[in-house]
Amino acid sequence: MSEQLASPPAVEMTLTERGPAKTGTAPDEVVIAISPAFGDQMKRKTLHGLAHAAVIREFCAGIEEEQVKARIVRVWRSADLAAIGFDGAKLSGSGISVAIQSRGTALIHQRDLVPLAPMELFPQAPSLALSTFRHIGKNAAKYAKGDSPSPVPQVNDPMARPKWQAIASIYHIRETQFVRQGEKAVELDVEFHT
Amino acid sequence: MSLIAGIDIGNSTTEAAIARVTDGRPEFLASGMAYTQGIKGTLDNIPAIIDVLEQATAKAGVNVADLDRVLLNEATPVIGDVAMETVTETVVTESSMVGHNPDSPGGRGIGVGRTTAIDALVQNEASADDEPIIVVVPADYDFEIAAGIIRRALEAGVPIVAGIAQKDDGVLIVNRLPEALPFVDEVGRIDKVPLGMLAAVEVAPQGHAVRELSNPYGIATLFSLTPEETGFVIPIAKALVGLRSAVVVRTPAGDVTSKPIPAGTIEFVGAHQRLSVALEQGADEIMETLGRVAPIHDVHGEAGTNVGGMIEHVRQTMADLTEKPLAEVFIKDVLAVDCLVPQKVAGGVADEFSIETATGLAIMVNTDRLLMTRIADTLARRIDVPVELGGIEANSAILGALTTPGIDYPLAIIDGGAGSVDGAICRRDKPVEHVHLAGAGHMTTLLIKNELGLASVDVAEKIKIHSLAKVESLFHIRHEDGGVQFFETPLDATLFARIVLLTDDGLVPIDTRHTLDRIRGVRREAKQRVLVTNSLRVLRRIAPGGNIRLLDFVAIVGRFGLDFELPQMLMTELSQYGIVVGVANVRGALGPTNAVATGLIINHGQQERPA
Repeated sequence: MSEQLASPPAVEMTLTERGPAKTGTAPDEVVIAISPAFGDQMKRKTLHGLAHAAVIREFCAGIEEEQVKARIVRVWRSADLAAIGFDGAKLSGSGISVAIQSRGTALIHQRDLVPLAPMELFPQAPSLALSTFRHIGKNAAKYAKGDSPSPVPQVNDPMARPKWQAIASIYHIRETQFVRQGEKAVELDVEFHT
Repeated sequence: MSLIAGIDIGNSTTEAAIARVTDGRPEFLASGMAYTQGIKGTLDNIPAIIDVLEQATAKAGVNVADLDRVLLNEATPVIGDVAMETVTETVVTESSMVGHNPDSPGGRGIGVGRTTAIDALVQNEASADDEPIIVVVPADYDFEIAAGIIRRALEAGVPIVAGIAQKDDGVLIVNRLPEALPFVDEVGRIDKVPLGMLAAVEVAPQGHAVRELSNPYGIATLFSLTPEETGFVIPIAKALVGLRSAVVVRTPAGDVTSKPIPAGTIEFVGAHQRLSVALEQGADEIMETLGRVAPIHDVHGEAGTNVGGMIEHVRQTMADLTEKPLAEVFIKDVLAVDCLVPQKVAGGVADEFSIETATGLAIMVNTDRLLMTRIADTLARRIDVPVELGGIEANSAILGALTTPGIDYPLAIIDGGAGSVDGAICRRDKPVEHVHLAGAGHMTTLLIKNELGLASVDVAEKIKIHSLAKVESLFHIRHEDGGVQFFETPLDATLFARIVLLTDDGLVPIDTRHTLDRIRGVRREAKQRVLVTNSLRVLRRIAPGGNIRLLDFVAIVGRFGLDFELPQMLMTELSQYGIVVGVANVRGALGPTNAVATGLIINHGQQERPA
């Protein structure tokens, strides 16, 4: 009985647009920047099958555990992770963002960095577990507080490239089709449900 | 006229000076420096010697083959080694205590109740009539589900007062409850927390440490202990001092003990008496015993104990190095220093660390001239230039230091390196007296490494020789003295929010959970306890009548003088004696380095000078 209860709930979420994303002023917030198709397209799953809702929930949990606030924005102008993360960081009151693409590739960014040099990059989506996403959220929150956490440990799977590269490319090509050039990032409300 | 090179092989660096000597008067042309390879006095040193010779001759515009003579220092006849053993340990039995500093415990306050698995709440085994409960949440419960179960139980009137979680979920669970219960999280071995026992959970507000559980009377109050029982909880309270969150479980036989590890005794053999002292009595007692025995002839460690192992290991290393039989290696000095090192608690459930006492020993043995002769012979064959040993190192160092502008006899020098602190005093018309004492740079590094619990000696070495800063944004850093430095271009992303060392190669991040102030404190304390202490010991030995006030000029030469803070620390310490202390400036240009290499040539010149 307890086994059933113990499995994580909320594998679905509803994202509601709340108008153009504003630049935050609170130093205790981390922006979660998501790609154009994340959360409501592409079967709402990463390429290795994690529900987008579960991933966002872990980001939020990691940030909340550090007593920092999470704010979710969708970047429309690009499907490129560096651009999404950089835009998110510029909107973030703390200057720190986490960003994720539909396929599951993620990073932590900071607004003073150049777009292609994030603080932490998690390039191998298939080796990222839910606990890794929690840890990414936690680290981002710690950076926002000015702490110096150890980087999130990553598994390096040498077979990831041959196994996943083709499908990762297809994900990216498909995601690019949802890009709306010139459109501003939007603020999102999230509601998790099972 | 002849072209002479002076070479000084030190524990960490090899230095050279080149001079043209005319009628015994040297005209210095160039200097060189390289890192010593191998332990000094061994043939491994040769490559570094050739390296500095080539450097210096190139700068002087001559060839190695043009040299008429190479003078080698008769290296300080001591080599040392360091070792450290912890002398106390903390053992937890029956998981009677969880004391650790998770990043983010939930809630705040104190709760006392019986430890109960969250399963029992699910199965409605607990009811409103029960006594207070501390809920134990293993990792397979998601935070939302766990919070839901606890919230429903609270609404049903079950008196839940606190919680213990295995995952890093403390804040997440508490944020979903109607009241902020104290929740300790990241308890890795939660399966070892005994269930059905009376326990207390305390979480302190941010920036504070637990107050009740780190106070024996606090624990006695919470558990209604008798005065006799209170005596048993003192080690628990002690182990929880300074932590932000803690759990104490009252188990029938559970206990926390802090006990000394029998580490063995050290026996000092002096000219007149032999005295023994146990290692666990601490550094002060050891040094006092040493002082009573001095001058010492040899030191032994009790066979079959930790200290025996430490001392005999050093003796064996030195015997191998000097190729002398073990029985002929005599230990001439020992420096003992106490320090506090973080050690994993035996029987802990959340990877707890406790701060234990450790004693570090720097041990020094005398070597002999034979080895340097061997280096001289080998070097002479390699470079085809006559090589000779140029007299006692202390004399050369004094002669070198005397080239400092504004200095005069009577002069005392402190020459600190990696292995030993050496001192010499030169009074007019009297032979130079010198002394060598164990414990210098290496010992300092060892203390820093152990007190900060660092994995590698390299990091400790870097911390020792560089000042610290905190990267506050990608455009500015705050130095350890509080000053701010701005940058035009952003710093590297890997430096963000890190504590960094200001090295010649730029900012180097250190991976640590310690604060900048703590690292700085440990670094300065280590220098104070080893380098400053030993410098004072040296001066007392060489000063007339052991009175430092009777010295006039004291010059710091060698590596000590290059340290970014040690000269100031020494000056502060010695200012109360009313003597002139400063860093030597050899030949008015080279700072504290190259004193011996320079002195070798001056000495040679004085001997050649026509009377």
